[in-house]
Amino acid sequence: MDVAMTSTTETVCPSCGGPVSEADRFCEACGTELNPGSATSPTTPALDTDTEPTIEISTVPVDQVGPCQSCGGTVGAEGYCETCGTKAAKLRDHFEEQPAPWVAGVCDRGIRHSRNEDAMALGADAEPGSRALLVVCDGVSSSLDSDVASLAAARAACEVLQAGHAKGLGTDSSRGSAIAARLKAAADAASDAVLDNTSPDSPNPASCTFVAAVLEDGLLVAGNVGDSRAYWFPDEAEPVALTVDDSWAAELIATGISREEAESGPHAHAITRWLGKDAPDHTPRTTTIHVTGPGWLVVCSDGLWNYCSEAAPLADLVRQTAAGCGGEPKATASALVDWANAQGGQDNITVALARI
Amino acid sequence: MADFTATVYQNEFLPDGGTDVHAIVTVKCTGAGAAGQSGSGDAGEIIIVDTSGSMGRDGVQAAAYAAQTALDQILDGVWFAVISGNDRAQLAFPPSAEPVMVRMDSYTRQAAKDAVSRFYADGGTAMGTWLRLASRVFATVPSLTQKHAILLTDGENQHETPEALTQAIQSVTGQFQCDTRGVGVAWQVDEVRRIAQALLGTVDIIPAPDQLAAEFSKLIQNAMGRGVAQADLRVWAPQGAEVLFVRQVAPTVEDLTARRTAVNPLTGSYPTGSWGDESRDYHVAIRLAAKAIGQEQLAARVQLVLGNDVVAQSLVKALWSADDALTTRISPEVAHYTGQTELAQAIQDGLAAKAAGDTATATTKLGRAVQLAAATGNEEATTRLRKVVDIDDQEAGTVRLKRTVEKADEMALDTASTKTTRVRK
Repeated sequence: MDVAMTSTTETVCPSCGGPVSEADRFCEACGTELNPGSATSPTTPALDTDTEPTIEISTVPVDQVGPCQSCGGTVGAEGYCETCGTKAAKLRDHFEEQPAPWVAGVCDRGIRHSRNEDAMALGADAEPGSRALLVVCDGVSSSLDSDVASLAAARAACEVLQAGHAKGLGTDSSRGSAIAARLKAAADAASDAVLDNTSPDSPNPASCTFVAAVLEDGLLVAGNVGDSRAYWFPDEAEPVALTVDDSWAAELIATGISREEAESGPHAHAITRWLGKDAPDHTPRTTTIHVTGPGWLVVCSDGLWNYCSEAAPLADLVRQTAAGCGGEPKATASALVDWANAQGGQDNITVALARI
Repeated sequence: MADFTATVYQNEFLPDGGTDVHAIVTVKCTGAGAAGQSGSGDAGEIIIVDTSGSMGRDGVQAAAYAAQTALDQILDGVWFAVISGNDRAQLAFPPSAEPVMVRMDSYTRQAAKDAVSRFYADGGTAMGTWLRLASRVFATVPSLTQKHAILLTDGENQHETPEALTQAIQSVTGQFQCDTRGVGVAWQVDEVRRIAQALLGTVDIIPAPDQLAAEFSKLIQNAMGRGVAQADLRVWAPQGAEVLFVRQVAPTVEDLTARRTAVNPLTGSYPTGSWGDESRDYHVAIRLAAKAIGQEQLAARVQLVLGNDVVAQSLVKALWSADDALTTRISPEVAHYTGQTELAQAIQDGLAAKAAGDTATATTKLGRAVQLAAATGNEEATTRLRKVVDIDDQEAGTVRLKRTVEKADEMALDTASTKTTRVRK
């Protein structure tokens, strides 16, 4: 996310002239990084812009700390190759998950940003098409420690979804309600996780978006807070956007302004709901559909949809990319991230997929 | 136990195609303790005094008094010896035909003072022989891990060829550290500085013999306050990179580049001698192969090493950026010490040109020195320069050579040329 929800007007953005607060790291309006360098390292005398997340990422497989990608040398304790000096990618900057062969996701720093504030947590049963849980949270980069908060939020939500098996009375509608209730509980857990990672006196409390999709026995329920999205792209039917953004742009679209115009305006990325200490409300709006045939479930952050927002062209992109990857979910997610980076990689990029 | 810290100052951002990374690494030592008492070996101290004929009766008496004062400052238990030098070197204490040292105690201190009081002026000057004898004397005590000498001279090294002195210096380099002092104005700064630089010591002028005792006392006190016997600076640079230079830049400028010994193909070691509670700054310059915008790499790893133990480390980084605001920023520390290094060179070049009668070059170089001293806030250098040149415009570096200059002032400017000031915060 390039945007802040609140800002104390103290100065103006050097790029667009929009109002920015002193604690903001990025301009709310245009996304320009404010005070690069100095803001990220206020206490160190050297120009050290290192912004390591403060938590260990325990669930990311350790085999990703392999040899140097550049020369094959050993990567030292400080994260640099001991032969050629190349900086090894931080685990937080790029990680992949694949809980079952048919469900996979890639979370990537992108090009423009100095750290990855997107986060993702996935779960799935082995039987293809049976049960999958996809959670994506996008940390708001104008707030502090959003990278830590977003990862904690995504994992907390996924844990709640993993644990829940309530099926209501067994009818489709009561099953859908039960899953929607689980999604609400997951959002509560995610919100608590964000608060747990916010220092009480933070001038700019950590915040993130939330989107989760649960597939269970032919029912697909998606819920969101903010502007991270879920889509259903059936092979033999019209693509469906499962979520409606909580954003300034979405409100404009609701009044009849075209999506293209709304999403390119100065406040296109301002979101109206989020998780965090200063959040007005974090109850996800849920959508339930019946899945009757094969297709792609896509859960993503704006790092992807910025470059392809409408459901139909995004569906084409996903299908074409999947075709180029032999239909393999992880390779497809990875290729979609590469595609977004090739478009500029202006933001962090997360793509989670389930092949149903 | 001594505690070392290393802090790096640099602008890690390089423009597209940029290759050269400069960094200042400040190494600070605290809790060094006293020489020979850190439990890692003994300390040895040798006092080398010029007793050539040119010293004269008064000069030798002043030198003997200074040596006695120095003996008072050597800690009990420290191994020591006194050498008197003219065109050959003699062991003045302990009284022995063979090289030998003794431990300091109240008895040996008094005996050494008595021996020193019998100094008399005679013969010529051959400092290479003094250094060689000192090395042989130190070698008689295998337990010594810290070996320090002070060398006093008053004249030119006339009874030995420059080549012989060079060979002697080379043969003892790495064997012991040596602070050198010249008394009066008849000695050659270049000659004595050569010894001090090779032996990781300092050089200075003592204009009058009656100032000798205080200076010797201070030198020995400093040496006794160096509880860390020997430390090395290690610089790792990535494969394919070139270490352009490694310089100590504070408290004095010393180019260490040529003193490298290889630890492994990517790592060089540079001796830094003994350490007390102090801080030293190093300027490291590395040339890398340029990488793509957005890429980051380690340009150098700078460590302080005791034996084989790394006691402090700093990382020098390179990050290629398209943002001019980042890449054009100049580290104030790097800029300051680049100026101080040029200042030292300008003073030495200016004085050499002046001695050779090249007034034009001398005026230009010393003018540049005045300008740099002002720009980097080195007021001591400005004060010393004022004794040699009349300054018309400090900022522009416009100066005129003074018609009459005290020889001692000129030598003081020369010996102090490598002294630097710290960055103004």
